Amino acid sequence: MNIVDSTKATPVPLNDPELEQIAMTTLLIGRQLMESGARAEVVHEDCSIVAHGFGAEHVDLRSGYASVDITVSRGANTITRTMEVGPHGVDHRVSHALRDLVRRVQQGNLTPSEALAKATGLKRDTPHFAPSLVALAAGIACAAFGRLLGLDWPAFLPVAAAGAIGQAVRQLMQRRLVNVFVIAACIAFLSSSLAGLGSHWAGSATVNVAMVASVLMLVPGVPAFNAQSDIMEGHPTLGAARGVCVIMLLTFIAIGVLLAQVLLGVQP
Amino acid sequence: MTVDVLHLLHQAFFGAVAASGFGVLFNFGWRDLRWCATSGALALTIRTLGQNGGWSLEAATFAAAAAVGCGGRLLRARLGIANNALAVAGCIPMVPGFFAAQAIFGLFALTAPHPDNPSKLAVTTMEFALRVIFAAGAIGAGLSIVTHILRSPDA
Repeated sequence: MNIVDSTKATPVPLNDPELEQIAMTTLLIGRQLMESGARAEVVHEDCSIVAHGFGAEHVDLRSGYASVDITVSRGANTITRTMEVGPHGVDHRVSHALRDLVRRVQQGNLTPSEALAKATGLKRDTPHFAPSLVALAAGIACAAFGRLLGLDWPAFLPVAAAGAIGQAVRQLMQRRLVNVFVIAACIAFLSSSLAGLGSHWAGSATVNVAMVASVLMLVPGVPAFNAQSDIMEGHPTLGAARGVCVIMLLTFIAIGVLLAQVLLGVQP
Repeated sequence: MTVDVLHLLHQAFFGAVAASGFGVLFNFGWRDLRWCATSGALALTIRTLGQNGGWSLEAATFAAAAAVGCGGRLLRARLGIANNALAVAGCIPMVPGFFAAQAIFGLFALTAPHPDNPSKLAVTTMEFALRVIFAAGAIGAGLSIVTHILRSPDA
């Protein structure tokens, strides 16, 4: 067995500054893809396309839950870089814009610096719905979801209102960078309490369903699908991490709802 | 098989509303929201028909997820790169969040100092937990199998 003595290794000076830019641009695109809800395989494929599109000869990517690492080689030069990944969300339009950017790189229409500039401003430049509209949509979605679970009509509006208020407060807490699990428990408690009180006053016979339906916008459906896909597609570490986060989130949501049920005296 | 058309329409309509609501939450564009609604309606229609036909919830959910995944693939040229995401949005109304909550409540109740009828509670909790695992697995498997069989370069 050959053992390399690292203390005697000669440091290799970086003589390919463009390789650095290729690595960082690729990592930025990979990070944003992960933050916008892409599966690991999509992140790996797109990062490979970008790095090869810029002229890298060999690319290795490792995607973790909280960071992505890349090694790119060209000629005699090889560099490895890492980048932190922020909170995992779902943003379809950002994801779509990123994949469009990847296609432009593949077609040779962008230099690394141009792609880096575009990727840096992409989240800011991508259109988003007004927060009030998102809150309203989340509330209506919760009430509709509730109907699928057997929610009666008197509880429909209270659930929609409670879901909308919960989503509005959730957006405020997200802007203040509050921990995602704390947000889940607090919003579950708030929305569930409001839905319970509202549906009780409205004469609903399904107060219990109303209290759960009002928090369904918090259920991490896309991360749950991604966890399964990642494990199936050969990324079990990321898939397992996503799965654990899904279970933790569900537990915090359940704690919030349970506290509300105890407060209102509703049997689970 | 007898089909209650009103119930079917009810499920399809609220599946569409829920999917498009989540579409806004996931920042789909205005143009894509109608496809989210279509996807949600298709998923709930197939799941309801399956359940009316005597299938288990899990089998009906699997069929619905596979059908929505296929629909997205077949309309790929028209929908562009969004097809897989649209299939996921359509499946969101089938996510067993309610069962998950009930399973966790059951676990909390089991660990209370003096639970009423712990054996029955344990069985009920286990049933909810298994339903969550199998229903979520059915959605994931339905979507993944279609994705891998009808694979495309922009998957």
